[in-house]
Amino acid sequence: MNPLNTPSTVDRRTFLKGVGVSLALPFFDSIGWAAGPHSAKPPVRLAFMYMPHGVIMDQFWPKTQEEFLHSPPPILQSLKPIINQCLMMKGISGVPTAPFGGAPHALELSTWLTARLPDPDSRDRISISISADQIMANYVGAQTLLPSLELATMPQTWKENQEGLHEGYYNHCSFRSPTQPVPAETDPRNVLNRLFGKRGKEGKVTQTNPLDRQMLDRVLGGARDLRRTLGRGDQQKLDEYLDSVRSVERRIAAIETRQQQAALEKNGVAPSKRHANDSAPIEVKIPEGDKRSEYMQVMCDLTILAFQTDTTRVSTYISSRPNGASYPELGFSDQHHSQTHYGSDQEMIRKVAAINKLNVDQFAYMVTKMNGLKEGDGTLLDHSIMMWGSGLEDGDQHRRENLPFIIAGKGGGSLRTGRFLSNVRGNQGDLLSTLLSCAGVPLDRPIGIATQQITDMKA
Amino acid sequence: MPPARVVRLAPAKIAALGCALVLSLVAPCLAETNPASPEEAALRSDATKTFKEHVEPFVKNYCTKCHGGGRAKANINLEVDLKDPGRGTAFVHWKKAVANVKVHDMPPEDAARQPTEEERLQFIGWIGKLKHLSPRNPGPFVMRRLSKVEYANTLQDLYGVNPSIADRLPEEVVGEGYLNSISPLQSELFLEIANEVVGQIVAPERKAPTTVQKRLFGRKPPEGTDLRNAARQVARSLARDAYRRPPTEAELDVLVDVFDLARGKELDYTASLGWMLKAVLVSPQFLFIAPAGEAEPNERTVRLDDHHLAARLSYLLWSAPPDAELSALADKGELHQPRTLRAQTKRLLLHPRARALFDGFGAQWLRVNDLEHQVFDPKLFPGMTPALRVAMMNEARLFFESLVHKNDRAIRLVDSDYTFLNEPLAELYGLGSSVKGPRMRRVRLENPNRGGILGMPATLAATSFPTRTSPVRRGVWVLEQILGEHVPPPLPDIPQLDAQEPNHVKGLTLRQRTELHTKNPVCANCHQTLDPIGFGLENFDAVGRWRDRNEAGIAIDSAGKLPTGAAFSNPAELKRLLAGRESDLARNLTERFMAYALGRPLEGYDEVVIDQLMTRIAADQYRVRTILTEVIASYLFTHRRIEK
Repeated sequence: MNPLNTPSTVDRRTFLKGVGVSLALPFFDSIGWAAGPHSAKPPVRLAFMYMPHGVIMDQFWPKTQEEFLHSPPPILQSLKPIINQCLMMKGISGVPTAPFGGAPHALELSTWLTARLPDPDSRDRISISISADQIMANYVGAQTLLPSLELATMPQTWKENQEGLHEGYYNHCSFRSPTQPVPAETDPRNVLNRLFGKRGKEGKVTQTNPLDRQMLDRVLGGARDLRRTLGRGDQQKLDEYLDSVRSVERRIAAIETRQQQAALEKNGVAPSKRHANDSAPIEVKIPEGDKRSEYMQVMCDLTILAFQTDTTRVSTYISSRPNGASYPELGFSDQHHSQTHYGSDQEMIRKVAAINKLNVDQFAYMVTKMNGLKEGDGTLLDHSIMMWGSGLEDGDQHRRENLPFIIAGKGGGSLRTGRFLSNVRGNQGDLLSTLLSCAGVPLDRPIGIATQQITDMKA
Repeated sequence: MPPARVVRLAPAKIAALGCALVLSLVAPCLAETNPASPEEAALRSDATKTFKEHVEPFVKNYCTKCHGGGRAKANINLEVDLKDPGRGTAFVHWKKAVANVKVHDMPPEDAARQPTEEERLQFIGWIGKLKHLSPRNPGPFVMRRLSKVEYANTLQDLYGVNPSIADRLPEEVVGEGYLNSISPLQSELFLEIANEVVGQIVAPERKAPTTVQKRLFGRKPPEGTDLRNAARQVARSLARDAYRRPPTEAELDVLVDVFDLARGKELDYTASLGWMLKAVLVSPQFLFIAPAGEAEPNERTVRLDDHHLAARLSYLLWSAPPDAELSALADKGELHQPRTLRAQTKRLLLHPRARALFDGFGAQWLRVNDLEHQVFDPKLFPGMTPALRVAMMNEARLFFESLVHKNDRAIRLVDSDYTFLNEPLAELYGLGSSVKGPRMRRVRLENPNRGGILGMPATLAATSFPTRTSPVRRGVWVLEQILGEHVPPPLPDIPQLDAQEPNHVKGLTLRQRTELHTKNPVCANCHQTLDPIGFGLENFDAVGRWRDRNEAGIAIDSAGKLPTGAAFSNPAELKRLLAGRESDLARNLTERFMAYALGRPLEGYDEVVIDQLMTRIAADQYRVRTILTEVIASYLFTHRRIEK
């Protein structure tokens, strides 16, 4: 055994099964919420799932509440069984794009969770604002192993800089600070490793060593010395480093706490935070083929698992990047983006609707599964706010007046679902502010262009 | 939005001014790297004069009523900009202002005062001098985190581990669009990977030490030795390699602290050294290419210290840490000497490891870096196998490397009589069975339509759609990637004809459909320039195979005219016309490589430096290796600005 790594042999039950892969979960015994002392209530989780290029509107928007509940439009069909857990609102406008009118796709992603335009005066670097998911991560992140989870289907390496905008705007929706995009994980195996530890050769989970925290502490001390010798720009860069390493330290500390709690529970010293009838953590299968839908499902499963085990409370999934994606499994070799400039071509409209439906289907897969998982006095979905959406209303004209969004989950009782609000009159920032408020995150300033909360959405 | 935008068609444009000072410069090889010249000062004072006499009155008369004062419209306060016109933000505003004034978007129609056409032209004409307003400076500099590839290569070079150990790090853009950020995810992975590296190198207690362990840790000190002292010596050599410079005593203190920490947990000497190594691998000095110590407190611009320069150079050309020779030169403080720096650049460029330069820079510049994953309809292009894609990439790389090795003229990029092929690629070229087997080799080309990056399958495929060619994309590619012109994005809210399916405009050929662009005056402005270039390459299908007829059996018409009026009737003639733009081509390569090397877009004073480089490069017939070398020896690459 290597003295430098201490493979953990914590009691485990193997419940993650992949094709030829099984993965042990070291913290299984203590999968409870690290909730405050006065609260046995499960925490609210928040997830965002993004699809670029807008929707075919007349196949997406219901006309009435009645239609929404009883015969939802074609793209929403798969949500029908849990439509009562869903909430849709029409009339959410995007951030006005001037002076970046020529870069609709960089903006549809980068403004999606920031509700703010990049700074026109420094458009060639990243300068936007902290995104809604990261605001939440700052508030609740310290209570879980990971402050937040960022997932993507495609690598964030698209190179295009229309209107002089930095490439990063084409690839990112999560920003930790105005200048720091958060990279997303694209490999499901890496996500599993990150959530539950990496498996060594004999299938044992290699844990970060408690000594790591003390070692990092020394390194941070040295880095602070180095900082004093640097110019201002370099100091800021080093601050990003310090900040990220501190987050690793917190993660190690959280792992230690969990292990102690597990030991206490095992010996009957401390009561389990889990309810007796809570569902067991779900199984995750890692697909072997290259089907986009299966890949999306595994990312959805990982999100569920991360929420269920309270490994994180906020997650973002860029299920497809603007530009570069195609859907061979639907029989289309053309790129999604090309298809969305359909004009009046019915065949192209049909294809885009099918792509929209495939995307909503995966969202439906995720929230339906969550609705079947018992947690506390309800289901996992009851305690979550799951948002699916796009950064454009339609891909053909790049309109942004009625951005398509679907919310699922009751947010711990903060949202009233089973409704279609046909005329809400708000903007993207308003929506994000409302969701964060429902997730219990106090805001010290509006998100992006927000001016209000959309109280109609609330319970 | 401006109703119409104009393609800049003559990037000889701004260079014209630079030409005035061509002849006065000294012989390239011996000169100091870009000393501030009297010519430079003269141009600056001329630009300042023009600014005072023509620009300032214009701005005050027509702009600042709205774009000034406490509530400047669009957040553009030109009053502030007038006070310090050479500042970065002001730059952006001036460029925008000129663009808007040019297309009569500004001042707005309903403004009471309108400039005369002459005033307008004067204001627009001034933009060429704008760069001379910026003070001499090497541009913003921020220390850079190792990219994924650099990090992997560094672990391999220093510790002999397989570079795939870094595969789990997120993919990233390198060069100009590099994000240079570090997130919790990356830090977690750096720690995890450090753990694994140490696990692979350091043998468990009572097992024989690994070779790398012996090299890094030396022998176990005999009983009775002061172990902390021994550890400090090990730390010194570990940190020298990993930090790419001699460590400071304070830095060694930190590492010995970690050693003590491990010893305190009853770990033996070797295991404790392992912890020290782990600390090295997660330290910012390892993860960032950082300047050495303290700069003079009052200096705003400094020359890179030799160790920093060695690292910057080595990561640029090899994506790897400096080798022994570079490190030794840095230790001696000689690397920055122009003659030495140029010689080392040549040595690195001629080494096989310089393939990293194509993988990082070349592939990105030619936009072929996504070819491996690009989607092609398997029914239409069944031959587009992984092996063929690899061969295509190799062809582009070997061709690029060959130009660097032979120090060929930039013109050879578009006009060459040889390439590199293997059997599947030769088949695609229609060269039958003249080339056998999977090995790539140099092949002489008789067909004038081939040879050079315009007739190369990798670039032709990279600019195509999954089902067919895209003359528009190819036109944009030639203008932007090859000639360095700026093509504005399509106007918002205009459907892209090019993206439409054939059945949308049934009965029209691709050319007829695309020519719809030029019927709409809004589109015509740009498309009349770029479409003909794309059509000139229509004889190459979406994967670069020659064809005389399109999918529908209609004969390809690849004749066209450039805006200059020059006509061509096939790819070979188009190639020859573009080859006539050697100075533009060379300038574009210089600018792109500079932006890649600096990891940032070029601005302000950078243009002045590029002008100066171009005169040296022109004097050496625009040779490719000369271009790369001049960029590296330039003031911009060898200096940094310190923000206090």
